[in-house]
Amino acid sequence: MPDAADILRLESIKVHFPIQGGLFDRVLNRPAGAVRAVDGIDLNVRRGEIVALVGESGSGKTTVGRVITKLAQPTGGRLLFEGRDMTSVQGTSALRPYRHRVQMIFQDAYQALNPRHTVFDIVAEPLRSLRLVKNGTQLAERVSEALAAAGLNPPGDFVSRFPHELSGGQRQRVVIAGALAVRPELIVADEPVSMLDVSIRAQILQVLIDLRDKYNMALLFITHDLPLAWLIADRIAVLYLGRLVEIGSADEITFNPRHPYTIALRNATPQIGGNPCRAELPALQGEVPSAARVPKGCRFHPRCPLAFDRCRQEEPPTVEVGSRHMSACWLNER
Amino acid sequence: MSDRIVQYSPSGRAGAIKGFLSKFLGYGGAQLGLLCLVFFIVLAAVPNILVGPLETAGTATGDFLAPPSGQHLLGTDEVGRDVLNMVVHGARISLTIALLATVISLILGTTIGMTAGYYGGRVDVWLMRLTDFFFVMPSFVLALVITPVVLEVMGRGREILGFRPSLFVILVVIGMTSWAFVARVVRSQTLSLKERTFIDRARVAGSSNFSIMVRHILPNLVPQIAANGALVVAGAIYVETSLSFLGLGDPLQPSWGTLLSLAQRAGAASAGAWWYLGAPGLCALTVSLSFVLIGNALDDTFNPRRRVIP
Repeated sequence: MPDAADILRLESIKVHFPIQGGLFDRVLNRPAGAVRAVDGIDLNVRRGEIVALVGESGSGKTTVGRVITKLAQPTGGRLLFEGRDMTSVQGTSALRPYRHRVQMIFQDAYQALNPRHTVFDIVAEPLRSLRLVKNGTQLAERVSEALAAAGLNPPGDFVSRFPHELSGGQRQRVVIAGALAVRPELIVADEPVSMLDVSIRAQILQVLIDLRDKYNMALLFITHDLPLAWLIADRIAVLYLGRLVEIGSADEITFNPRHPYTIALRNATPQIGGNPCRAELPALQGEVPSAARVPKGCRFHPRCPLAFDRCRQEEPPTVEVGSRHMSACWLNER
Repeated sequence: MSDRIVQYSPSGRAGAIKGFLSKFLGYGGAQLGLLCLVFFIVLAAVPNILVGPLETAGTATGDFLAPPSGQHLLGTDEVGRDVLNMVVHGARISLTIALLATVISLILGTTIGMTAGYYGGRVDVWLMRLTDFFFVMPSFVLALVITPVVLEVMGRGREILGFRPSLFVILVVIGMTSWAFVARVVRSQTLSLKERTFIDRARVAGSSNFSIMVRHILPNLVPQIAANGALVVAGAIYVETSLSFLGLGDPLQPSWGTLLSLAQRAGAASAGAWWYLGAPGLCALTVSLSFVLIGNALDDTFNPRRRVIP
């Protein structure tokens, strides 16, 4: 549903990686096939909204994030930012205005920081590359502002340190500060807390929520953790094997899930005290199939405890099952 | 607000360099290598003050092939020149050629290796085939072919960038034939570096490919370049000495290899003039060895964890 307030829209985005066939395949002219990492995703993010993208590993959620930040090129579909088609925009200078408004927070703060750069250089890099500051004073001002906003106080204690002199939580704050420094309108956060100690997580999440409240920044929060998504997000999109199976408000998805996969994900969540499984459905069996061999019909049917004949034959359409609540399951038709 | 503006001083870098030096100098080989190197660099820097201007047959004062004595500490050659005088002057030529050749080799090797590794695909394939070509090219043969051509074209008397043509040719040939090794090392390291998340972060931050290579990849290559650079210098000294020994050197700007060649032609070995052959030979050996020691110590310092970048 197109919306004037949409800052970002993905229209049937596809990312297929071709598989290099072996010698025999090429001689016999057999099609080599492709890894369908992302296979037709429609998603919109509104200004100031936090959308969580939830899925198991291998569901393609990181690839979606890389498409949005232009680190990966989609093989199909369109990427619209404020109504402008950004799909085919390429090149450092052409992308500069876009980079100014869309930033990314990376999962592994140990890998995301160049070990030979100081915190100052790291946070200043986007400001310098995007030519957003005129002089050194302004640069220092913006850097300390970003560090303070990311919770590194006082900034002066951190600027001349190297990443290896920081704790994991501090590193993640530096990554966040680097993304904040340009004052973007959308941040893609790829599992920003999964590598952190539980005690640090809440603080980092609070930093992200504060940013939204303070700057009306939109956030696409990529995670595998449904409770975490419920905690932070306004809306949750559930991804399975490169397709969205369900999308709706955080409360709807968490407390009134309609897709068997979402129900299974929720049941798989351990809880302190009480019976963790409400046993509406048996626990999820097996692994996510390979994206190179996507099952026919509904791609969840091999693992779905409720699958019936139609699921094995036809792919279910995404239909509205509640207010702004969409689900792709044949059970919705019953 | 203004009190929150930070004063950024890159003091952390100074600390890192200090830490590196203390670790590097902890190796005995590094100490020995540096000591020898400093000694020879002093010789090369001020030969005129130490032993006076380079002696020629005209200004020679000693006997023919006189053994070491109080007046001639390293004896004399077949026309009465002081061997010490020539060896000290030779240090300048040998070291300059070796170091300049290494600079050529490192610049070429790093640029080509980094470009190939970073861009990948067709760029990588073609640059690495070029590297293979230079990798298998024998420097002796190349120098033997190029030298007469250059001398014919340029004329023997002219100087190129302050070097007489034959020395310049040696310089270029060593540079041309030793970069392939550097390029391979740099490429492989670049391949692993470019997969690191901080490269993605730099891209999202809007950095250009050039800036990513210079600001993110190159600083992380410094350990490899430094360690291999020292080994390239050692190799360059060896090749320069060999080429000069084969007679490609310049008699007016004698390097150690040229001296060895002169000694051999004068029949120093059969005449028992060990000082004439021994002095330049030992010098080349010592300098070569000290660069190898330094290179290995650098390698050890960056090894094993620091080699793959902390």
